[in-house]
Amino acid sequence: MKLLIYDRDITLSDSVKEKYDRVIFADGRYAPCQGCFKCWTKTPATCVMKDSLHEMCRIIGLTDDLVIVTENWYGGYSPVIKNILDRSIGMSTPMSTYRHWQMHHVLRYGRYNSARIYVTGDISDKEKETWKLMGQRNALNWGVSDVEVIFSDPFSDGEGADL
Amino acid sequence: MKTVFIDCSPKKRLSASGFIMGLTELFVLGKKKNEKLRTPADHERILSEISDAETIVFSMPLYVDGVPSHLLPFLKKMETFCREHNKTFNVYVIANNGFIEGKQNEPLMRIMENFCDRSGIKWCGGLGIGGGVMMNVMRILLVVFLGIAVLRTILSLINEGSFFPVRPWIVFGNQILEVLALGCGIITFDIWFANCINRKKEYGKHYTRIMLPSFVFIICADLFFTIISVFQGGIFRGWFSRKKPTE
Repeated sequence: MKLLIYDRDITLSDSVKEKYDRVIFADGRYAPCQGCFKCWTKTPATCVMKDSLHEMCRIIGLTDDLVIVTENWYGGYSPVIKNILDRSIGMSTPMSTYRHWQMHHVLRYGRYNSARIYVTGDISDKEKETWKLMGQRNALNWGVSDVEVIFSDPFSDGEGADL
Repeated sequence: MKTVFIDCSPKKRLSASGFIMGLTELFVLGKKKNEKLRTPADHERILSEISDAETIVFSMPLYVDGVPSHLLPFLKKMETFCREHNKTFNVYVIANNGFIEGKQNEPLMRIMENFCDRSGIKWCGGLGIGGGVMMNVMRILLVVFLGIAVLRTILSLINEGSFFPVRPWIVFGNQILEVLALGCGIITFDIWFANCINRKKEYGKHYTRIMLPSFVFIICADLFFTIISVFQGGIFRGWFSRKKPTE
């Protein structure tokens, strides 16, 4: 499955939508993660908060190729995108393992192929370095084979034809 | 000197971030104020509280390699506040994560450093703690162990007429020593961190952890989640299954 998550309030062209199996606009109309871990211990792979993100971990977990378009916030994701990722830890299980000699969680859905992260907005050199590290860390945690952080705005043409 | 401690855990109570923040606070001198940041309703109150502060200490959990999403809008407001009022705070960060390696907090530290750069305030460094949640569990266990020692003392008084039986308190003393041994890295780094706050010195970035081999920590973590999942029922509801979206 190919998944696009983006945080810009923009109308995507049909040609862009056709490239993806699922397109999610991060509108921010959902609650932040409460850190209860019940998506591991009580209702596996389901968040107990019943809003649009309550099964988001299943969607991201089943993805083969993930594309994220996010505004830069201090070298990390925008709050609306970060909220989606925070609420998706159910894509792994509570059990732990080693990956690259470090402790990580066992993946519920196994590894996926690629993640491309487009970072938009004003960004300093120091923040770019933070982003590169963030991409590597995310790839390790999510079990992504190939991750790419791209500092360019795919919506510069107004409708995201570059995606 | 006024120091404001901000617990950024979204949990209402018993958060590891709050506990480690409280531990740090014990060693910080001068006027201190504690704040809890959970929702946007907390923003204005905290901004008002920090307006006359010299030092701000953020304590937070690591969420998906970064700061928890609910904190970001506050940071943006604080950036604007600092720029508009020409504030020059000293900012320190304590981050804790569920993995054993404290080093996994590195991206979070960099994000907080970038925030300080954009806000024109002074980044004084951070302490990243691996397995901080275990310290939190152990402090709860210590309260339980204390209760058991008291209960055994009362039973001894009723059954044997002994006012102070030594054995339960030796056991409790051993349990305290075990917790101190496991947390000695965290406590030592924490005292050093607090000392830098007191002297307004830069701490740099340092990482510590619970003093356990990682494979033992993993076994403990797996056991912990298994027990919780049995009690909450998750283990019987497709604990490891690859569930598909229903819509």
